[in-house]
Amino acid sequence: MRVKTRTLQKLLPGMAVLPLLAGCGAQIPVDPEGTLEDVRSGTISVGVSPNADFVEVSNGPLQGSEIQIIQNFAENLDAEVEWTVGGEEQLVEALENGDLDLVAGGISSKTPWAEQVGMTRPYTTHVDVDGKESKIVMLVPPGENAFLFEVERFLDRTQMP
Amino acid sequence: MNSSPGTHLPEEQKRLMRRAAKLEWISVGYAACTITVVALVVGNSQAMRTAWVEDMLSVLPQLAFLIALRWTRKPRKPRQPYGYHRSMGAGHLVAGVALLVVGAMLAYESITALVKTEHPTIGTVNLFGHTIWQGWPMIAVMTVIVIPALILGRLKIKVAKPLHNKLLYADSKMAKADWQTNAASIVGVAGIGLGIWWLDAVAALVISLGILKDGWDSTRSATSDLLDSRASDLDGTDPHPLVSRIEEQLARMNWVEESAVRARELGQVQHIEVFVVPHSGQVGVKQVAEACAELEELDWPAYDVVMIPVSSIPDYLSEAPARV
Repeated sequence: MRVKTRTLQKLLPGMAVLPLLAGCGAQIPVDPEGTLEDVRSGTISVGVSPNADFVEVSNGPLQGSEIQIIQNFAENLDAEVEWTVGGEEQLVEALENGDLDLVAGGISSKTPWAEQVGMTRPYTTHVDVDGKESKIVMLVPPGENAFLFEVERFLDRTQMP
Repeated sequence: MNSSPGTHLPEEQKRLMRRAAKLEWISVGYAACTITVVALVVGNSQAMRTAWVEDMLSVLPQLAFLIALRWTRKPRKPRQPYGYHRSMGAGHLVAGVALLVVGAMLAYESITALVKTEHPTIGTVNLFGHTIWQGWPMIAVMTVIVIPALILGRLKIKVAKPLHNKLLYADSKMAKADWQTNAASIVGVAGIGLGIWWLDAVAALVISLGILKDGWDSTRSATSDLLDSRASDLDGTDPHPLVSRIEEQLARMNWVEESAVRARELGQVQHIEVFVVPHSGQVGVKQVAEACAELEELDWPAYDVVMIPVSSIPDYLSEAPARV
């Protein structure tokens, strides 16, 4: 037991230094699946579910505040948006499988989906008919932290007063 | 005789005990601070969460010590003829079992995360209008809070050794090893930053194995004391040096033909039974009382020495003498 602890003691600082060295120059955080790389100057697959003023689905083009935000975000990344309209459960599953890059639709920060996928910080609030206030977030693929960083930075710049 | 009320300890040990209590109070206060600060940054990293729970668990032996300390000070009485010294052992056992259980739960969680290939998500914070990756404040906090814990651990180990207090010793060893937990959680967060998602779960596993080891060591040592194992040193491996000193002292007594010592630990003091075969099979009450007093004078852990004149040494003692 004593030998093992000593090896561990020697190993740990080494393990701590390695990623830091490797991190010099590279951008942190990095996406394990490379979402941000793929999206930049390419196509961003966005899933939306209809919800009040956030996402309006009718005959003709999609409308709503979140549609506008996402279009601006895509422009910022020089990317084309490929829209998918569906129910939240279906969209979250696609997000988990890596088929979608971003999901929106007036989703509140208390969403149970946060267990399965990544969630942005709340960027706005919404008061429903009962006067209940909820914080609005968007969903991202789990663990794609560079992409999440990019989304949150964009929301910070454009949505914060 | 050492039956006076209070801690029964000599002045020097009383001073050390007061210092130990002070250090443990500081430790509990410091743990409360770190638990709060880490809660602010803990986020989605498995390693960070595991380190956070470890911080909470580290309070257990400290609280056990402080509570047990109040009990050990009580004088013995007919209902409690051995005094309350064992409360240290009870506290030690409770802390050990708690560490074992929580360590196992945390190890299970990190293995599950690995099997399910869960990719931990760590977002950003907005600090004064700047979007900053949350991993940076996590790493900063884990680096800063480790330093006072290390200093406290070193101070405590200096007190635990002369007091022969196993609970305090286990606690200080945990505090001294605390930097490994912090280092591992930093490795985990850095791994997430570099896109190495599994490094986080592996780091969490390393931390939980450390907790399991602490729990196992404490449980084993406390159980062995509760089973009245032979009095041993702090690591529980070698016999306590006091036993051989008593044997030497007995060998110098003229009227003693043969003797054997049975010593068990009551917390930091010992209850010692001495079996003696007197020359010519005869011994007086005065000789026995004098011998007991003489042995109790040897050192402060010889708290309660009882002498039993016998015609022959019990088999279980002569076959496996305390002195190996």
